[in-house]
Parts: sequence; structure tokens; C-alpha cells
Amino acid sequence: MRPFAVVSALCGLVLSSSSIVSAEPTAAPLSANFKPHQVFKNVNLVRNTNLEKGYARETINVVVENVDKQPQSEYYLSFPSELFDRIGGLEVRNKKEAEKGRFDVEAVEIDSSSDVRYFVAHLPEPLAPSSQITLGISYSLLNSLHPRPAAIEQSDRQFLTYSFSAYVPSAYQTVTQKTKLKFPSHNVPDYTTTDLKTGEDPERQGSTYTYGPYNTGKVAPGTSYPITVRYEFTKPVITASLLERDLEVSHWGGNLATEERYWLRNNGSTLLNHFSRVDWTVANYQQSPSSAIRELKYPLKPGSVDPYFIDDIGNVSTSRYRPSKGNREANLDFKPRYPVFGGWNYSFRLGWNNDLASFLRRSVSGADSYVLKVPFLEGPKMPEGVQYEKVVVRVVLPEGARNVQYETVAGPSSNGLPSADQFAVEFSSHKTFMDTLGRTTLTLSVESLTDEARDSQLVVTYDYTLFDALRKPITITLGLFSVFAAIWVIGNIDVSIKKR
Amino acid sequence: MSLNQVWEAASASPYTPLIAKDSQFSVGFALLLLALILTGLFGLSGIDRSFLSIATFGVPASLAFGFGAVYMICAVGVYV
Repeated sequence: MRPFAVVSALCGLVLSSSSIVSAEPTAAPLSANFKPHQVFKNVNLVRNTNLEKGYARETINVVVENVDKQPQSEYYLSFPSELFDRIGGLEVRNKKEAEKGRFDVEAVEIDSSSDVRYFVAHLPEPLAPSSQITLGISYSLLNSLHPRPAAIEQSDRQFLTYSFSAYVPSAYQTVTQKTKLKFPSHNVPDYTTTDLKTGEDPERQGSTYTYGPYNTGKVAPGTSYPITVRYEFTKPVITASLLERDLEVSHWGGNLATEERYWLRNNGSTLLNHFSRVDWTVANYQQSPSSAIRELKYPLKPGSVDPYFIDDIGNVSTSRYRPSKGNREANLDFKPRYPVFGGWNYSFRLGWNNDLASFLRRSVSGADSYVLKVPFLEGPKMPEGVQYEKVVVRVVLPEGARNVQYETVAGPSSNGLPSADQFAVEFSSHKTFMDTLGRTTLTLSVESLTDEARDSQLVVTYDYTLFDALRKPITITLGLFSVFAAIWVIGNIDVSIKKR
Repeated sequence: MSLNQVWEAASASPYTPLIAKDSQFSVGFALLLLALILTGLFGLSGIDRSFLSIATFGVPASLAFGFGAVYMICAVGVYV
């Protein structure tokens, strides 16, 4: 009976929490020739592309005007279909009222043969005819930077290329637009020059290159003008093809245990020749920049204890942990077992413990109700950034927890996470030490994240009664008691040979 | 009410476990030792023991072992 009650409670939750988790789109995919109605016009568009990290981060500020006769509330964002699956942490806000939070954005189901795919942003209030709104659209493009040359010597500098269209892809007519590129250094050996405007294009100022402004009032939406830039980036392009993150709540122990399993890859230039240990030692001694992952720095929450860093072989001793003093962050600096050059992989696991008191509170709404607030993603903090192709966060709640609800915290600025419908949710039961029913487990998986989502928070509420808490000791108590009872019963059986 | 507001509202009541992390080992060890002693006394109470020996030794020994085992496994780092 009990397991069924738990399952039905969880099912009820999934159905009832539609405000948090959007329902799956059920409509048939749109045909490949789908074009949004031209109800908006982009009056002015500025795109900022940041290339300082190992992925491209784009922020588009666009003044949108409703050119239709009816109020409109659905703004379509178009992307070339080859980029669509690599867009991470897409967020749309009203630039003027950023503190009011993000708009609901969902992917539009469209026939897979289409060249262009769409997200649709739902404006909270329909935009009246001929009035304007300023949208702030931000997202990351994973795996968008390609090393050229693709293979280099071990101590060579590394160069990356980035290709994009001078005309920002948009579903609507754009009147004026420009693109600002921010490079990590002044060393930009190759870049496309255009004759789309009078004068020099791009305009260069330090490590910032500006393409435009262009008057594109006559250019049809969807027109592209390819631009490629090539710039120095002698740092690793750190990519986690998978990150599994477990957060285990223990009421008995008063502990929050975190374990992370990484499958890391360097997307930089591969080595032209064999790896040379001597060159590597010399480069390390001179502290010269390298395209290899040499060391990762991981700030941990204050009060983190018992850290470990192991890989498939066993403990990796090249790590250093500086515990926090007071309210400062603790620091875990760890070196992979070998330098990870372009095309190389390294998988490992990290873990540590925290006191539960700073993450779990008794909810005021009910005596047996708890609220848990944990970081959704932490990860190493590197100047070159980290991109995550897939992140699976598993929150293991105590055995018997029910009525589980969750929410990611949205602040006044971007938290780096995509909208709720991009998360895949699963409730399951996880059996480990001393468990009879198995622990209630909430699994959230999301694709295409970057370290912009560091410190994004996840709030989980659940109900957990005293009886649930006592299940473990009582089970063990009953086990031992049954042994005593058996001894007593067997001891009292009269097996003597005598006359009765 | 968003869940984050639930969190903010509960700021006055952080969760504190019954036994703090630092004393888990001593509590677990004491309870397990008590369970061992009571089990020994139960064993010494003769082969044709009365129901009274179950009540005085068996039940407390089982309870001490149940809670002692939970605290001991937490004390050694397997937080259940």
C-alpha cells in the first residue's frame, strides 16, 4: 500500500505543478515553411558577442515595435537549425524592467528539415499597436568556437575561429543593427571585412570590434552575411560532455553530501606531435600559457569539509584544499592526473560534505514540511569558462519524503538557466545503505549549460514525518528483537526425555 | 507563493539534528556498547528465561542497537 501512496503522491505532484513545469507541447510540429507573421519590427538591434570564454555568449538588446493592428504578445526568435541545439541558458527579459523577471520562452516544434528553428517568447502583457518594448535576449552558444589550425605544437599559441552572420538572425524586419565582438586579447590575426556600410567595417577599438551599424530596412529577414573571425585563445576550451551531480540530504546525520562526476574534454587544438614531458615541465616552470587544462580551481561553499578527488584509478593526490575561515569560500584547487590537451578526455569525481543547517529549514506552513535550498550547479570557476553539454542534478531526499515540489530561483539578472520547459524531470526511488523503501529522488536534467549558471539555486520542498524518520532505527530494532524473541521461544521449547 | 518565498519565510527555523555531527560517534558508541552489555545479560539469564528477561534486556538492547547503528554509520561518514 505505502509504495503506491508514494507513487500516487508523486504523480499528483507532476500533474498539479504545471505552473512550475510546463506541459509538453502536444500540437503537431509546424511545417518546414513556417514563417511567423510579420507583426513586429525590430527598430534597433545591438548584439554583444563575448568571446572571452571557451564558448560564445551573446546578449541582444532590441527595440521591438508592434506594426500590426492588434495587440501582440508572441515574439518569435529565429536561429539557424544547426545552432538551435547548442543554445544554452536562453533568457528574454524586458530590458527596462529587468527585475520583473524573465518571460516564458518555449521551443517551437517544427519539421526537422527546416533550416530555421524558433523559440517563442510570451510577453506578459500584449504589446499595443505601434508601441515599443526593449527586449534583452541572452544565451550562450556551446561548441561554437573551432580551433584553427586544428593541430598545433605543444607549446604553440592556440587560435579559435567564430563564424556568424553580420545580419542578426531574426524572424522580423530589422531597421538598424550592429554587432559588437569582445575578444579575449588584441591578437586577432584574421577577420572578415565587409562593404555593407560606408567607411571601415569592422571598427576596431582595443579588443572590441564593431560590425555595423547597418541600415537593413530593405533586407529580408533571414538573410545572412557570413563573417568569420580568428583570434588567439591560448587557454583550454573546457567542455564537460556530462556532469552528474548528486545532493544527498541526511536528517539523521545533519549532513548535505555533494558528489559530482565529470566527463571532461578539451575542445582546443590537438597535438601535432607526441606529448613531450620535458616541454611540459619547462612550460610549467615558466608558467607560460598553454592550451592544456593544467589546474582547475573550485570555490566551495563556506563550511565544506571532507573533500575528495578521485578518478578511475583511485585517489588523485595533486589537489590542495584550503578550508574556509569564517564566512569566506573554501577553495579546492585540483590538477588532473595528466594535462588535458585538445581532444583529450578526463573523467573524475569530486565530493564534499556540508552541515545541513545552512541548506534546510522547517517550513512555517506545516510541522512536518521542510524547505531545502541548494546550488543547482557549482563547478570550477575558471577565467576561460566551462561549458556543460549535459547536466544531471539528482537530489536524494530522505526515505519517505513526499509531496516534493521544486523551483529554480530567478533573480533580477540572468541565472544562466533555461526556462522551466527545458528541464527533464524524473521522480524515482534510490536504495542505498539502511534503506527499506528507498529514498525519494528528484532528478533534473538539462542540456547546454555554461558556468554562467554557477550559483543558480534550486529550492525543494517536501513533507517528512517523525514516523518516516524513525523507520530506519525501528527496522533495525525489530530485526534484533526478532532474534531475541526467537532465542526466547527456542529456549523455552521443552525437548527433554521424561515422563509428562 | 513561490518556493523561494517559503524558504525566506522559514529563515527563523533552520534544521538542527537531534544529535550534532560532533557527538554522533560518542552517542553511537555508547548506545552500541549498551546494546552489547544488555545482550550479554540477556544471554546470561539462563536457557529457560522468562518473558521478563526479554522485557528488561531484549527490548532495551534492540532499541539501543537500532539507534546506535544509525548514529554510528553517520559518524563514520555514511550519512543515512
